Amino acid sequence: MRRIDIACVIDDDPIFVFGIKKVMQLIDFCEGIMVFKNGQEALNNLRAIISAKEKLPDVILLDLNMPILDGWQFLDEFVKIPCEKEILIYVVSSSVDPEDVLRAKSFEGVSDYIVKPISVAKLKEVLYDFENAF
Amino acid sequence: MKLKKYIDPVLDSREHYLKKELYGLVKKDSSIFDFLQLGALDGLWFWDLLDPENVWMNSSYWTTFGYDPKKMPHKVDSWQDIVFKEDLKNVYANFASHAEDPTYPYDQIVRFRHKLGHTVWVRCRGMMLRDKDGKPIKMLGAHTDITDIKIREEELRLKSAFFEHIIDGTDLGTWQWNAQTGETIFGERWAGIIGYSLSELEPISIDTWFKYAHPDDVKKSNLCLQEHFEGKTSIYECEVRMKHKNGDYVWVLTKGKVVSWYEKGNPEWVLGSHQEITKNKKDFERNRLFIEQTPSAIAMFDTNMNYLAASKKWFEVYNIKNKNIIGKSHFEVLPEIAKKWESNFQKCFEGETFKNEEECIERKDGTVQWLSWELCPWYSNENKVGGLVIHTSDITEVKRKKELKSLLKIAEDQNRRLKNFAHIVSHNLKSHSGNFEMLLDLFLQENPEIEDNEIIKLFKTASSNLSDTISHLNEVVLINTSLDKSLVPIGLKDVIDEVVRGVSAIALESKVEINNLVSNDLDVLAVPAYLDSILLNFITNGIKYRSKERKNHITLSAIKNNNYVVLSIEDNGLGIDLNKHRSKLFGMYKTFHPNIENARGIGLFITKNQVEAIGGKIEVTSIVNKGTTFKIYMKYEKN
Repeated sequence: MRRIDIACVIDDDPIFVFGIKKVMQLIDFCEGIMVFKNGQEALNNLRAIISAKEKLPDVILLDLNMPILDGWQFLDEFVKIPCEKEILIYVVSSSVDPEDVLRAKSFEGVSDYIVKPISVAKLKEVLYDFENAF
Repeated sequence: MKLKKYIDPVLDSREHYLKKELYGLVKKDSSIFDFLQLGALDGLWFWDLLDPENVWMNSSYWTTFGYDPKKMPHKVDSWQDIVFKEDLKNVYANFASHAEDPTYPYDQIVRFRHKLGHTVWVRCRGMMLRDKDGKPIKMLGAHTDITDIKIREEELRLKSAFFEHIIDGTDLGTWQWNAQTGETIFGERWAGIIGYSLSELEPISIDTWFKYAHPDDVKKSNLCLQEHFEGKTSIYECEVRMKHKNGDYVWVLTKGKVVSWYEKGNPEWVLGSHQEITKNKKDFERNRLFIEQTPSAIAMFDTNMNYLAASKKWFEVYNIKNKNIIGKSHFEVLPEIAKKWESNFQKCFEGETFKNEEECIERKDGTVQWLSWELCPWYSNENKVGGLVIHTSDITEVKRKKELKSLLKIAEDQNRRLKNFAHIVSHNLKSHSGNFEMLLDLFLQENPEIEDNEIIKLFKTASSNLSDTISHLNEVVLINTSLDKSLVPIGLKDVIDEVVRGVSAIALESKVEINNLVSNDLDVLAVPAYLDSILLNFITNGIKYRSKERKNHITLSAIKNNNYVVLSIEDNGLGIDLNKHRSKLFGMYKTFHPNIENARGIGLFITKNQVEAIGGKIEVTSIVNKGTTFKIYMKYEKN
């Protein structure tokens, strides 16, 4: 059984970030957490990590509605970056619009669509999926 | 040849005694004869036919021609110099005839040249004196100066020729009618106007007129004539149609006047003329039709703003009911508008042109009309302003369409804002409420001991209600704003069966019998997810609001109605008091049955939105404690 080393949260809402960190701690979700306030910041940092050959996250929890670069734009850019590591990407959004769900799932790198609010149970599912994915 | 025997009046006992005495005196007393030859005649001559050089002429003979008798020799040459040679031919002929036959009168008119140069007309009579064998030996002649009569005659002839020429030149047909005797005289042109010669129309009588005039116009003309006879009109005047030889009707202006009266009020001779006016009439008629049928609202006025002409459209645009406005004042026909434009009229008569692309006119009856109009003067042949022409278009409809367009734009804007709002609800509100929920969850995880705290419990309920409300709102907004709702044909019977299967457990438990009577050849156009949701909602409602007092059933049936399939879902449950609740039935969070648990009042609201989103509508009838029937109209898919 593998463990999630680093989880990456890309979300502009500090409350959500606070909450998800709490939930992660509660269920011992991962070793370390990486947080970015928007898509641009995430992209910059992830690119830097790749070029520095440092450790990339195993899981990315991506919000859709963000300033500067939103979740969609991040996905568009991120899939272009050549990367050897398999990263599980979860879109985590308040939107229940079926269009958003379909669009998110149309990205090959996106594993699932999680509707906010995030709960212990939902995150446990993600963890379970990761542990049993390979 | 027999000579008439002459009887001397002096010896005739039957003669008047004064005549006998005068004749006797003439024989005896030369002064009597002198008086006669100088006083009664304008010339006397006595000619010796045996010695034709000699002729005696009295003094008045010469004074008539302006000559001094003393200077004139008694020779034939004297008069032959002043006589008109062309008249002599006739004189010689008469002379010869009279010489042959004494009863043949030597009597002719001969012209002489007066000494002053003018013509003197003389009636010259003569009588030959013969010997016992009847041979002419002398000739006695008498002159009467008829120059004055001749001049008058010539004047009259010229005058009459003058009128004839005028009548000829004006191309007028003439007529004369004696109202007493019926005698009728037409001029040649009278017949010519209708393509005939007078001889072709013989015999001419007043019936000739009745025969060729249009019967309707004869009536009209008789009325005009009667008015003239009664003195109401100074002349009789009427436009009539007459049948031309070629079969067409020609227009004739007939004018006339009574010139003599048999007695007061009873005319004798009526004289008049016919003038052909077909071309004028046709031109006029064409102009009239042109104005009348012009596909825009125009009217022509004189300088007193009286109507000269107006198109049909004019009547329509201004809603003028009275068709008889020609000659009437604009101020009388359309007072509100005329007053408003009054100052413009004045300037227009001075040559200005006015225009307004759109003007709002409020009529007396409160209706509002938008007009675009143009005022301009019209000029007579003398280049004088004859009045003005108004051209108008009713642009009320165009204005209305423009308004609709701008309303549509507003609606589009609002729709866009609504979508924006939907977005805010979906993302922002929802994430806030989600945060609440999450934080509360975390708080309870960390502090499990306060889970029973009343306030925390209520807090949790409030938070979950908030999330529910937002998600319902979100759902409805989504239904109403998703643009590409692709409607697909769906077999109604099958989809109902499917839904019924899904609720069969609850139905069984609740002892509600569900009957699907929909025939399997009916397809409706719908969004599959919506149709599922709609059916599920109605069926579960039927189960939820069943009556505890009887065996319950829900029956679904459908009929075709024009372009719709009408699905009826009938139950015999609790029913709804529609008098009280109809307006709120499909409202959000409206519930009507306090005893039913889980009644959240969201189902019908969402269902209505979904039905409308697929182009349908819902009707409902219900009787409390008897049951409810919902009729759902959905678009029909023609197979």
